[in-house]
Amino acid sequence: MENHEPILVPVDRSLAEILPAYLVNRREDAARLAGLLERGEFETMRVLGHRMRGSGAGYGLDAISRLGERLEKAARSGSQADLAASVADLDAFLRRLVVVYTDDEII
Amino acid sequence: MDHILIVDDDPDICVLVSRFLEKNGFRASTAEDGNGLQAVLKRGVVDLIVLDLMLPDEDGLVLCRNLRATSNIPVIILSARGEDLDRIIGLEMGADDYLSKPFHPRELLARVRSVLRRTRQPVVAETVSATEKDLVYHFAGWRLDVPTRQLYSPQGEKVFLSGSEFAMLRTFLDFPNQILSREQLLEHVHNREHETYERTIDMQVSRLRRRLCEDSKTPTLIKTVRSAGYVLSVRVVKEGG
Repeated sequence: MENHEPILVPVDRSLAEILPAYLVNRREDAARLAGLLERGEFETMRVLGHRMRGSGAGYGLDAISRLGERLEKAARSGSQADLAASVADLDAFLRRLVVVYTDDEII
Repeated sequence: MDHILIVDDDPDICVLVSRFLEKNGFRASTAEDGNGLQAVLKRGVVDLIVLDLMLPDEDGLVLCRNLRATSNIPVIILSARGEDLDRIIGLEMGADDYLSKPFHPRELLARVRSVLRRTRQPVVAETVSATEKDLVYHFAGWRLDVPTRQLYSPQGEKVFLSGSEFAMLRTFLDFPNQILSREQLLEHVHNREHETYERTIDMQVSRLRRRLCEDSKTPTLIKTVRSAGYVLSVRVVKEGG
């Protein structure tokens, strides 16, 4: 049964201006990844994963970096099952994510 | 206001870094590839470049090496290629620092400030110490002009030095014919402001030797002293200062 529990992630308030657009881009990626998987376009999937790995933590979302890394590795290995699982996990994370802006310094 | 150029083909990284730097008192420009980098450099002064390695039109390492050959602009590599070997190659190619992705913008900010401070140290010294205003070193036909940080070959040609190369050469010239350990070179060149490996010193010495047209197998100016460090083996004359 699908888990709908929200995932609360505290994010530095200084990112509040730019994080919404970043998340829009990631949701577009998630939608695009499903099609890429169907068509077997692994190299494009690898590039998307690589970018997520590089940028996620910078936006305060370490999970995006971890999911991006998984996606990148799965695309490199060419494992359809791993890729499908990575795409599903990314999609689920983005659906459940609730950003909580905080003034506390997050290192 | 210092002008930082971010070169990265990921627009999300460009937005993140440029906004963060702007909020912390810098002016920021972005470029998505090597052509964009050249275009920004043509438009005006850039104080530091944050450079990704995997760019669509050119390898960032090649860009870094070309930049180092033609300018003194400090370079921080910001790359997902974070293995030790990648770091070493990046520093070997002339980068002043290397930060792996994923990264925290605060850490990048700290490194930007640190590199700017380090590469400007001689300029700051000039403003606080009038004695260095005319300081020039002469050695083996070479000339290092401290106020302008300019190195001239025995043939009178200008040789570009990065901030850390300048600091290292200056350290050797201040202590000619004395063995300097890697530890001492780290202290003088980097002030141990951030994680710097002793291996980095080896890379920087190797680069400096190339600037001085030295054969790395049989160097005559900067010699390796086994298990001890390096020594500048030449008579140095200080003029002015």
